[in-house]
Amino acid sequence: MGAKGFTTTRRRLLKGTAATAALATAGIFAPAIVGRAKQYDGVVLNGVSTSSVYMRRVKELVPEFEAKTGMTVNYEPLSFPIHNQRVDLELSTQGSAYDFVNLTFIYSGRWIGAGWLTQLDDFINDPNLTDPNWDPGDFVEGAQKSLQDADGNTYGFAHFAGAMLTAAGRYDLIEKAGLGMPKDFDELIAVCEAVHGKDGVAAWVSDRNHHWNSIPYLMGFGGEIFKDPPNNLTPLLDSPENIEGAAFYGRLLRDYAPSGVLTFDNDVTLRTLVAGQANMRTGELAWELPMATAPESAVKDTVRFGLTPTGPAGWYPGNNSHGYAIPVGSQNKEAAWAFIQWALSKELMERIAREQGFAALCRRSIISSDWFRESLQINGDDVAGLYLEVLDRGGEEPYMRYRTVPVFPQVGDKLNKAIEKIATNQQSAEEAMRQAQAEAVQQLKLMGIELDI
Amino acid sequence: MREAAIGPEAGGSGAAIADSFDADKRRFYRFCIWPLALILIVITLVPMIYLVAISFTPLNLTQPQTFGDFSQPIRNYQFLTEDGRFHNSLWVQAKLSLWSVGLQLLFGFLLALFLNLRSSFLETLRTVFLIPMVLPPIVVAVIWKMMYTPAISPFHWSAAALGFEIPSLIASPDWALTAIIVAEIWQGFPFTMLMVLAALQMMPEEYIEAARIDGANVWQTTLHVTLPFLKGVLLAAGLFRLIDSMKAFPLIYLLTEGGPGEVTEVTNYYSFTLAFNFSFLGYSSAITVILMAMTIVLTWAIVKIVRRGEALV
Repeated sequence: MGAKGFTTTRRRLLKGTAATAALATAGIFAPAIVGRAKQYDGVVLNGVSTSSVYMRRVKELVPEFEAKTGMTVNYEPLSFPIHNQRVDLELSTQGSAYDFVNLTFIYSGRWIGAGWLTQLDDFINDPNLTDPNWDPGDFVEGAQKSLQDADGNTYGFAHFAGAMLTAAGRYDLIEKAGLGMPKDFDELIAVCEAVHGKDGVAAWVSDRNHHWNSIPYLMGFGGEIFKDPPNNLTPLLDSPENIEGAAFYGRLLRDYAPSGVLTFDNDVTLRTLVAGQANMRTGELAWELPMATAPESAVKDTVRFGLTPTGPAGWYPGNNSHGYAIPVGSQNKEAAWAFIQWALSKELMERIAREQGFAALCRRSIISSDWFRESLQINGDDVAGLYLEVLDRGGEEPYMRYRTVPVFPQVGDKLNKAIEKIATNQQSAEEAMRQAQAEAVQQLKLMGIELDI
Repeated sequence: MREAAIGPEAGGSGAAIADSFDADKRRFYRFCIWPLALILIVITLVPMIYLVAISFTPLNLTQPQTFGDFSQPIRNYQFLTEDGRFHNSLWVQAKLSLWSVGLQLLFGFLLALFLNLRSSFLETLRTVFLIPMVLPPIVVAVIWKMMYTPAISPFHWSAAALGFEIPSLIASPDWALTAIIVAEIWQGFPFTMLMVLAALQMMPEEYIEAARIDGANVWQTTLHVTLPFLKGVLLAAGLFRLIDSMKAFPLIYLLTEGGPGEVTEVTNYYSFTLAFNFSFLGYSSAITVILMAMTIVLTWAIVKIVRRGEALV
C-alpha cells in the first residue's frame, strides 16, 4: 500500500510538476506580451522614429498593442532630418524623454560609440523578456551589421533596410536603342547617351544626397572614404580613384539629369521618375518602387529593375538599415523592448507586408517567402531577389562601414559639396575633391581625431 | 488753514513733501524696475554670456569631456582664421546683405512714393503689398521654392511657352544667390515701404509747395526735398533690414541648403550646419559670437549715422 501509495503520489507529483512547468513555461513564453499585461498597466511609452511605410502603419496599429499590454504609447514618426536632429540632441543629454527611437544608419556609429543606447543582448537572452519565437537570427545580417558595435553587441533591430538598385522607368527607350539594363559603368554611359532627350526624358536623375548616391561609383573605381574605419578615420577623398569616381558621377548629373537636379530631394526625384520625366536612377528600392506601384505612375508598364552597375574595381551597391533602439536614459526599458518585439514580430511584419506590399523589411523568412517574392515580380524582374542580394552583399564585406562612423556626417558633407561643384563646373573633379579632403582633414583635426597626415 | 499751508511759511514743509514724494517715486521705480531689469538681464545677457563662454571650449556633443574644457580658449578663434568656408560665408553674407537691403530700400522708397498718391485704388493696393511682410518666413520660402522649381514654376512654364529654356536658378552657381536675393527683397521691401509711407504722410505739404513755387520739377523735389526728409527713416529701415538679412535662414535652408557648392552658404547657415549636423557647438558658438559682434558694431554705427542725420535735418 505504502509503496503503491508512494508510487501514485510520485506519479501525481511528477504529473503535477510537469503541469506546473508547462504552465510556467507558457506563462513565460507564450503570449509573452499578453502574459505581462498587468506588468505594463499604466506605463506610458514615448517614442519617435523616422517615417516609412512600415513605421506609419505600426503607429496606426499601436492601439492593438496598447489593448494587449495596458501601456499607453505616444509614438511619432518624424521626417528624417527632424528626427535625427531631435534625437541626436536628446541622446546627447542622456535624457529620458524617449523610450524608443530610430537608430539611424548614419548616426549608428556615433550613438552606439558614445554609449547613448541600451545594449539589447541582455534583453534578447532573458527568456522572461523575449519570446523565443521572436527569432532575432531571422533579421538579415547585412541589415543588422550597422546596429551592432565592433564586438557584435546589438543596440537595435532593423525595421527598414535600404538596398540600392537600378530602376529604369522608360526601359522601352533603352530597348529601342538596342541596349539593356546597364551592368557596368561603360554600359551606363552608353544607356544615358542613347536615351537622354528622347521623348522629352532626361536619362538620369538623383536626389541631392550625393554622399549616399555617389559612393558606389567612387568605390567602383576603387575609392575608399576612410583609410580603415572605424580604426583609422583618415579621409581619402582626394585619392585618384575617388577623383575618377566623382568625375564620373558628376558627369551623370551634369550631362544627363533634368534641370535643377541639384535641388531635388527624394520626393522630387521620385515624382520626376513616376511622371516619366527622367528615366533612370540608382537608389534605395523604397524610393524606386512607386514607379511600379503608385496609381499615378506613368511608367508602371515600362519600369524595370536591376542591380547597380559594377565598376572596374567591383560591385558596391549601397545598403543601409534603420532600427528601433532604446536610449540609455529611458526609464521604461523593458516596456520599450516589449514594444520593439511587437513592432518587429514576424506576424506584424507579414501582416503589414501583405497589406502594404514592399515595406523594406529585414526578416529573411519574409523576404524569401514565396508570396513575398511573387508580390514583387515586376514586369518580369524578381525584385525581392535583387533586394536580398544587395542586403547579403552588405553582410559579406564591410564596405558600408564608412557610413556608420561618428565623423561621416562631416566628411560626407564635404563630398556632397564637391560633387555639386563638379556637376556645376565650378571646379574640376580634382580641385573639388582636393578641397573637400583639405576641409575634412581640418574639421577632423578640430575634433581631435588622430589622422595619418 | 489750507491757504496757510501753501503760503511761504509752509515752504519747508512743501520741500519735505516733495522730497518724500521723490523718495517714494525712486522706491517705486526701484521696486518695479529692478525685478524687470533683472529678468531682462537673465533672459538676454545670460544666454549671451553662456554663448561666449562655450565659444572658448571645443564643446562637441559626441565628446562629453569637451564640456567646460577651457584648456585652449582661443583655439576656435584661431581656427576661424584658417577656415576658408567661414571666410567664404562672410563674403556670401556681405553680397546677400548689400544687394538685398539696397534694393529693398530702393523699391520700398519708390513704391511708397507711388502709393502716397491720393487714390482709393492705391489705398487698397497698399494692403496687398504688405502681404509678403506678414507671411511666416517658411511660407515665403515655400512660395519661392515653387517659383524656382522648373517642373512646377509659372516662370519656367511661361518661358518655355515663349520658346526660352531657363535653367533652374537655384541649382545654378551663377544664379543661386541672385535667386535668394530676389526672394529676400520680395519678403523685405514692404517694411521699408511702410516706414517711408508713414513718414511721407507726416511730411508737411508746405515743403513740396515751397519747392514748386521755387520752380523745382518732380525729380528735383524728390531729390532735394523728399529724400532728405526721409533720410532718417531710410537709415533706420536699412538698419532693421540689414540685421534681418543676417538672419536669412529659412530661404537658404529650403531653397539651396547653401549650395550649389557653397555659393549661397551664409555665415549663420554654416554655423547651423556645424552645430546641428556635426555637433561642433564650441566652434559654432565662436562663429555666432563673431556674427553677434558684427551685428552690434553695425547697429552702433548706423545709430550714430542716423543721429548725425537727424541733427543735420
